[in-house]
Amino acid sequence: MSDKLQRILEGDVELLENVSDAAEVPDSPREELKQQRKEFVSRVYQRSEMERIARAEKKSFLLLYRMVAVVSCLLLIGVLLFTVANIPRYGEENPRTLEVVRRYVEQGLQETGALNIVSGMILDYRAFDTLGESHVLFTALLCVMTLLLLDKKTIRGGALDDYHRVRQDTYFDLSKDAVIRLLGTVLVPSILLFGVYVILNGQNGPGGGFSGGAIIGAGFILFATAFGFEQADRVLSRKVLSRIVFCSLAFYSFAKGYVFFTGANGLENHIPKGTPGAILSGGLILPLDIAVGLVVACTMYGFYSLFKRGNIGGDRTSSGQ
Amino acid sequence: MSVSPEWILFWVSAILLLFSLLSCTFAVIGVYRFGFVLNRMHAGGIGDSLGMLCAVSSALIATGLRMDSLKLLLLILFMWFSSPAASHFLSQVEYFTNEHLYRYTDRRGKAGQTNGKEQTGGWI
Repeated sequence: MSDKLQRILEGDVELLENVSDAAEVPDSPREELKQQRKEFVSRVYQRSEMERIARAEKKSFLLLYRMVAVVSCLLLIGVLLFTVANIPRYGEENPRTLEVVRRYVEQGLQETGALNIVSGMILDYRAFDTLGESHVLFTALLCVMTLLLLDKKTIRGGALDDYHRVRQDTYFDLSKDAVIRLLGTVLVPSILLFGVYVILNGQNGPGGGFSGGAIIGAGFILFATAFGFEQADRVLSRKVLSRIVFCSLAFYSFAKGYVFFTGANGLENHIPKGTPGAILSGGLILPLDIAVGLVVACTMYGFYSLFKRGNIGGDRTSSGQ
Repeated sequence: MSVSPEWILFWVSAILLLFSLLSCTFAVIGVYRFGFVLNRMHAGGIGDSLGMLCAVSSALIATGLRMDSLKLLLLILFMWFSSPAASHFLSQVEYFTNEHLYRYTDRRGKAGQTNGKEQTGGWI
């Protein structure tokens, strides 16, 4: 006691403020040690108590979680088994479901003018469904743009310069590689040509907008990888890409809306079917295939470009490069 | 037994097909038995180039001259263009990222030269 009390009496204000109650000042180092130990023990006990409670909570939560998982799995299995038990056996005639199929197979060629029944189905009978699919792609592209596009504010903040600095450090800037340039020179035209062939052949054979568009998109990705996005920009910049996507979807919507309107009201729609087997046949199927293919190709290329550099095409507006 | 042109064509295509099967078997064995990635790529390349060539030319001979033959020839051409390029980039990745390349070859890779202290680049 003597030591601290003396200092307080001598006017050590800090010590006085620290000690709120004079009785709490331990008299000897032994007492101090005892108190410390007591505090430590109580703190440890408190903590272990809290841990115990947390562990118990976790345990009960896990139990509940497992029970819910098992119950929902059993429910799902039951529903699926019930559905399987109710569908007709393989090969058995079911007049309810076969009606539509028979109509597609027997009158598809006459009604749609497409040799490929699948094309006739997805772009004529169920064109609305395909329109929705194209819009799903468009929406996905919009979402990725919202998340990943480097806007002007970010660029002004210097993010793009950092980005380019990092890019220059990497060893894998493929557009400087001689091998991939040769590869691109040979392969890109053939890939694009093949994609166009697949799209134009959609109503007569295997192919169509989705597969051909995917091939064209892959060709563009190879082009951008081999020659850089600045070169790809000359063909498919961001502005051009968004215009293509918009025009394709708008054309699809208006053309199919016109057909649906006339068909629902029993009018003639004045769209020639052509001779089946020719390239220009199948009524609206070929233009719709082209529209879908353009949307798919632009979406694929846009995804790649956005994920690779946060922009569609090159960025001439930025200060770097 | 008479030797007709069909007979010869059949046996040529059959032998080619068997040879392609053999090389593909070697490729599979090599891919599983070798430990180092470049050796594995070498083994895989046998199946990719020789096995593919023999199988497709066997199909070419078996079907005779048609429109499909041109497609098969294009298949060989494009496979032989793209497969070595893919191997080239794979081996480059190995060269740039493997710190212990000197254990397998007489070269130190790009990552081995800096003793792995510097962060090697990735695909951006």
